[in-house]
Amino acid sequence: MRAGLVLVHLLAVGLLALPDARGIEESRASWANPTVQAELRAWSSRLSAVGWQTDPTTLRNDVLAVATSWNATVTTLRTPVQPYEDLLGVRQRWRMFVVPHRYPAKLHVDILEDGRWRTVYAARSPDHRWRGAQLDDVRVRAMLFRYGWERYRREYRAFARWLARRAGEDFPSAERVRIRWWGYRTPSPREVADGDAVPGEFRQTADVALARFR
Amino acid sequence: MSAASSRPARWWASWVRLLDTREPGTALALFRIVTGLSLTYALGSMLAADLVEVLWVDLAYGGYRSLEGRWLVRALGGATGAVVHTLVAITLLAGVLLTVGIVARGAALVAGQGWLALTTLNPDAMCAYDPLLTNSLWLLVLADSTATLSARCRLREGRWTSDRLVTAWPRYLVIAQLTVLYFGTGLSKISVHWTPGGGFSALYYILQQPSWQRADMTWLASVYPLTQIATAVTWLWEVTWPVVVLALWLRRHPDRGGRLRRRFVRLPIRTVYVAIGLTMHVSAGALMVLGPFSAITLAYYPCLFRAPELERGLSRVARRRPAPAR
Repeated sequence: MRAGLVLVHLLAVGLLALPDARGIEESRASWANPTVQAELRAWSSRLSAVGWQTDPTTLRNDVLAVATSWNATVTTLRTPVQPYEDLLGVRQRWRMFVVPHRYPAKLHVDILEDGRWRTVYAARSPDHRWRGAQLDDVRVRAMLFRYGWERYRREYRAFARWLARRAGEDFPSAERVRIRWWGYRTPSPREVADGDAVPGEFRQTADVALARFR
Repeated sequence: MSAASSRPARWWASWVRLLDTREPGTALALFRIVTGLSLTYALGSMLAADLVEVLWVDLAYGGYRSLEGRWLVRALGGATGAVVHTLVAITLLAGVLLTVGIVARGAALVAGQGWLALTTLNPDAMCAYDPLLTNSLWLLVLADSTATLSARCRLREGRWTSDRLVTAWPRYLVIAQLTVLYFGTGLSKISVHWTPGGGFSALYYILQQPSWQRADMTWLASVYPLTQIATAVTWLWEVTWPVVVLALWLRRHPDRGGRLRRRFVRLPIRTVYVAIGLTMHVSAGALMVLGPFSAITLAYYPCLFRAPELERGLSRVARRRPAPAR
C-alpha cells in the first residue's frame, strides 16, 4: 500500500513537472515587448546561421503553434493528477530567470508641493525611500516586476490608486502625486566600460490630485 | 512463473524493500527546522513590513485590488482583514510548532494549507519560493521529522537528540523534489543568453535587472568573464542535477560492481554539486533580494546525506570528536 502511494506521488510530481508553455500561449500581448522581440531576433538569426532559415515573425508563429499543441498534450497528461496539485498545492512549474529582462522599468513616485515636483520614491535609490520597507520587499518587487509589463496595466492602475491614497495621508501639504515607470535598456558590459549613457523614458504615468483622499 | 512476469515482481519487491529502509532522522529533522524557520521568517517579514493588508486583503476591506482566493478563504468568508490575519496567525503558530518539533505532521499540514491559501490570494505578488515551501510542508506531513532535534524528542527521551530510526523514504522524496526543482528550472531557461550563442551573458543581464538587485550592479561589467563562467556553470549544473540521484543510487551498493558504479563511487559528484549549489545560493542571497528562497532550498540539502555522514559533518563543525560510523 505504502509503496504504491509513494509511487503515485512520484508519478504525480513527474507529470506536474512536465515543462509547459502556458506563459507563451497566454501572454500574447507580451510578444510586442522589446525583450521578447530581441530574443526572437537572436534565435532566428542563430537558427538561420545553422541552416534552419527563419525570421522573427515566422519563428513567433512556429513557437506559438508548437506551444499550443504541446500545452494541450501536457494538460491531458496532467488531468489524472491535477486534483493532487489543486488540493495540496504541490505545483511543479519552476520557471525562474528564464530570460533576462533587457528592457526593465523602475518605479518612480513624485509629489507636487508648493508648485514643484519632488521625488519621494525611486526603485533602488538610496536617497528616495518613501515606504521603502514596503516597496522594496521581495513580494512587492515580484509584483512590480509584473506591473512593468503592458498586460498588467489594470492591476498597475489599481496599485497606483493605493499608492496615491497613501501619499495623500503621508504628505498632507502635497497637491498631486505622479506615479510612473522609468523604462530603459540594461547596458552591455561594453557600454558600461565606455561610460555610455543608458537611454530611457518615463511611461505609464498616473498623475493624481490628492484632495480626493483627504 | 515466466522470467518476463517475474521481473516486474522482482522490481516491485526491491521497491518495497527500499521503502522499508530505516535510518536515524537527523536529515529530516534539519529539513523540518530550516523549513519551519523559513516559513516563520517569510510571514514575520510580511508583518514587519505591514504588507499583509496591502497584498492579501480584498479591495473592499483595505487592499489595493479585488481578490478571490482558494476554497479555504472563500469558506471562511473571503479575503477580509479578519480572515487573512487569522490565517496568518494560525500559519505562523504552525510554523513555530514545526520548528520546535511538536505535533509536527499536524503543524505541517495546517501550515501548508494556510500558506497555500495566503500566497495564492494575490497571484501578482507570488514568489518562486511560495510553491517550493508548500511542497516542503507537504513532505513534512509525510515524514517522521521529530525523532531527533525536537521538543517531542526531549519530552519522550529527556534529551534533544536521539538515534531512533525512522523510515527513509520521505528523505528520498525530498531528494526527488530537489531534483525536479533544479532540473525543471534548468530546462525552462530558454533565452539565447543562457547559451554560447548568447555569449553566456544571462547572469550579467539578470543582475542588471532592478527588480531583484540589492544595489547597483554595473560594476559586474569589470568582471564580465566571471559572470559568463557562472552562467555556463549554473545552467549545466541545473540540467545535469539528476546525475546526483544516479550517483547516490550507485553508491548505495558499492559492492555490486560494474564499471559505471565503480566510476561513480570514486568521483566526488555529490560533493561537487553541493559545493556549487551552496556557492550559487549564497551568492544569489548576497547580490539579490530573493526573500527566504535560498534558505528554503538549502533546507533540502541535509537530505542528500545519510545520518552518519551528517553526524560526522556536524561534529566537525562543532569541533567535537567525530561520531562513530554506523
